[in-house]
Amino acid sequence: MTKFTKLKSSTAIAVLGGCGLAGAYYAASHLLLSGQAAAVFPALGAIAIAGTVPSFLMSMSAARQCRDTRFTMGQRLDAFGKHACINVVDDKDKLVEVNEKLLKLTGYDRDELIGQPVTYLYNDIEKEVAAEIRHSLRRGQSWEGETRLRRKDGRVVFTQSTIMPLFDSAGKWAGSISVRTDISRTNELIAERHTAQTLYELRDDIWIIDSDTETFSYLNRSAEKRFSTSSSGYRGRSLLEVDHIGYTTEVLKTCREMRANGKAVTRLETVLLDTPVDVSIKFLHGTEGSGRFLILITDISEPVEQEKHKADFISTVSHELRSPLTSIKGAMGLLLSKSAGELPDKAISLLEIAHRNADRLVLIINDILDLDKITNGGMEIELKDVDLAALIKETDQANAMLQQRFGVKVQLTGIDLPVPLSTDPNRFIQVLTNLLSNAYKFSKPGSTITIEVKDEDTNVGVFVTDEGHGIPQDEQHKIFSRFSDMANSDRALKGGTGLGLNICQAIIENMGGTIGFESTEGRGTTFYFHLPKVSPQRKNTVEDLAASTA
Amino acid sequence: MIKLLHVEDDADIREIAMMALELSGEFEILQCSSGSEAIAKARAFAPDVFLLDMMMPGMTGRETLDQMRQDPMLASIPAIFMTARAQHSEIEELLMNGAAKVISKPFDPMALPDQIKQAIQKTDTTK
Repeated sequence: MTKFTKLKSSTAIAVLGGCGLAGAYYAASHLLLSGQAAAVFPALGAIAIAGTVPSFLMSMSAARQCRDTRFTMGQRLDAFGKHACINVVDDKDKLVEVNEKLLKLTGYDRDELIGQPVTYLYNDIEKEVAAEIRHSLRRGQSWEGETRLRRKDGRVVFTQSTIMPLFDSAGKWAGSISVRTDISRTNELIAERHTAQTLYELRDDIWIIDSDTETFSYLNRSAEKRFSTSSSGYRGRSLLEVDHIGYTTEVLKTCREMRANGKAVTRLETVLLDTPVDVSIKFLHGTEGSGRFLILITDISEPVEQEKHKADFISTVSHELRSPLTSIKGAMGLLLSKSAGELPDKAISLLEIAHRNADRLVLIINDILDLDKITNGGMEIELKDVDLAALIKETDQANAMLQQRFGVKVQLTGIDLPVPLSTDPNRFIQVLTNLLSNAYKFSKPGSTITIEVKDEDTNVGVFVTDEGHGIPQDEQHKIFSRFSDMANSDRALKGGTGLGLNICQAIIENMGGTIGFESTEGRGTTFYFHLPKVSPQRKNTVEDLAASTA
Repeated sequence: MIKLLHVEDDADIREIAMMALELSGEFEILQCSSGSEAIAKARAFAPDVFLLDMMMPGMTGRETLDQMRQDPMLASIPAIFMTARAQHSEIEELLMNGAAKVISKPFDPMALPDQIKQAIQKTDTTK
C-alpha cells in the first residue's frame, strides 16, 4: 500500500468516524430535548462534532505515524553505527564526533581523538588522499574510496569510506561526516587468493606432501602438468606411486632424513626427465611431530647451460690468449738465451721488460680463470695427505730466482720434522707462492723473510713475515679485496695482478681454513693462514665411509 | 738422437719449439700441423716420442694419439701433451690415460729439451 493510499484511507476513516459521532449525538440529543431547543442544539452539536473529530483523529494518526518513523530510524542508525565507523569533522577539519566502532577499530580513546585534525587518523602515505578528500568536500561533493587509517599501535587498517560534506542552515560549509567499513580482512583474503593463484601459476613446481602418509596434498599447475594429472588425480597418492618419472625416491629419502634429524630446510640438485632441477624442501611443523613438506622444484637447465657456455668461453679465451703468449714468451726467451746470437745490453734490458710483462700477463690470465672458478663455486680442491714441511721447502726452492731478483733471504722455521696435513698441494703452493712473492716485492733488499710453521692441535699455522714497510692503517681493511692495490703505482713494476690475495683467501676458505695478517708501518707484515689437519671435506668422506661400513 | 714427432697447428709455436730443440742438438724432429698429417707420417718416421698440442682444429691431440695407438708399431711410444688450458682436472685426466707428461703453455723453450728427455726416462723406468 502506497503512502498516498494510506493517507486517503485514514482520512476517509476520520471523516466517517466524525460523521458517525455527529449522527449519534444528533439522534440522542433530539430524543432528550424538545421544542425549539430539540431542533437547534442537536444540529449545532452534530456540525461541530462532524467538523472537529476527523481533524482530531487525523492528527492522532499523524502523530502515531511520526512516532513509528522515529523509532525505525533510531533502530537503523543503531545498526548502522554497529556496522560502520563514523566520524564527524567540523569546518576546521577537526574531529568533533566519533562512534564506538571507530574507537574500537583504531584503538584510541574518545578523548584522544576529539579535537584532533582528521589527518591524525590517516596513515602517513594517505596524506595526499586526505588532501583529495578535502578538495572534493569543499566543492560540495562527497568522496568514496579506500583509505588507510593508522591505529594507535601503529598498524594500518584498510577502510572503504564514504565522506559527505555538511552544510549549516545558511548553506555554509560546516564540516563532513565519514562512514567507513573495515576491509582489512577482505584485503587479506584477496591477497591470499592472489598468492594462491600466483603459486598455482608459478613456472616452478610446488608440491605439498603430508609427512605421515607421504602423499600429495597439493600440486600447482606446473607440477600437475609434469605428473600428467589433474587436481583431483593426485590427492592422496603417495610419492612412490608416481615414481615413474624417476626422481621422487631421492626427494622422499631427503624428506625422511629431514624428519628424522629435525632439519627444517634443505636443498638438493637432481635430474628430472633429463632436466637438471633444484629442489628446496621446507618442513612445516604440525602437531605431535607430524607436518607437511613444502617442496619447490626449479628447472635450472638454462643457468646450467649458460654456465657451461661461459666456462667454455673462458676456457677458449684463455687458450686463445695463451697461444700467442707462448710464441711471444718463447721468442723472447730464445733471444735472451742468446740462441739467436749476442745482443747489445740495451736490447737485453728491453727484452727483459717485455719478458717480465708477458709473465705478468700469464699470471693475470691464470688469476682471472681462478677468479671465475671462485665466483661460480667451481674451484677444484683435490685433497691429499702430504708433508707440509716438504711442500714449503719445494715452494721456497721454486722461488729462488725471485729471491735473488729482490735480494732477500728466506728463513724456514718449524719444518725440521715432517708436518702431516690433508690438503691440496697445488693450491697450497699457489697460496704460499703468492704470500712469498708479496713479501719479496715489499721487502727491503738484504732483509729476511721468515716462513714459520706452528702445530696448533687440530690446525697447522703458516706465518710469512717480512721486514718491509708494512701496510698503511687506512689500506688494511681492503687488503683481501680484488684489485685492492689499484692505487699502487708500481704494481706493474713489481708484477702484481691485484687479485692474488683475494684468490688466496678463497682457496684457504675452500680448504676449511682462515687467513689474516698483522702489519705495523715501518716494521713489516705477517700474513698467516691456519688449515685444519684434516680438512672438512676429507672428514666428511671419512665419516661417510665409516657410516657406510658400520 | 731422439726422434720426436711434434704436432702443433700454430706455426709460430712450431718454429720456437724447433729452434729450442735444435739448439740442444739431441733431437731429430718431424713437425706436423694437424693430427691427420701426423697419423699419415708417423709410421714412416718411427718416432721415439710424440709431442702433441691438445687443442687443434679438426682432430685434438688426444684423438690423434688414440688413433695412433691403434697401430701396434706406435702403440707404446711415449706421448707428451702441450695444453694452453692447463686445468688441473684436464692434466690429471691426461696423465691417468697414459700421457708421459703434460706441459702447460706458455712453456719455457730453453727448458723444453730437458722436460722431454725426463719424460722419456720416466716412461722407460716405469716399463
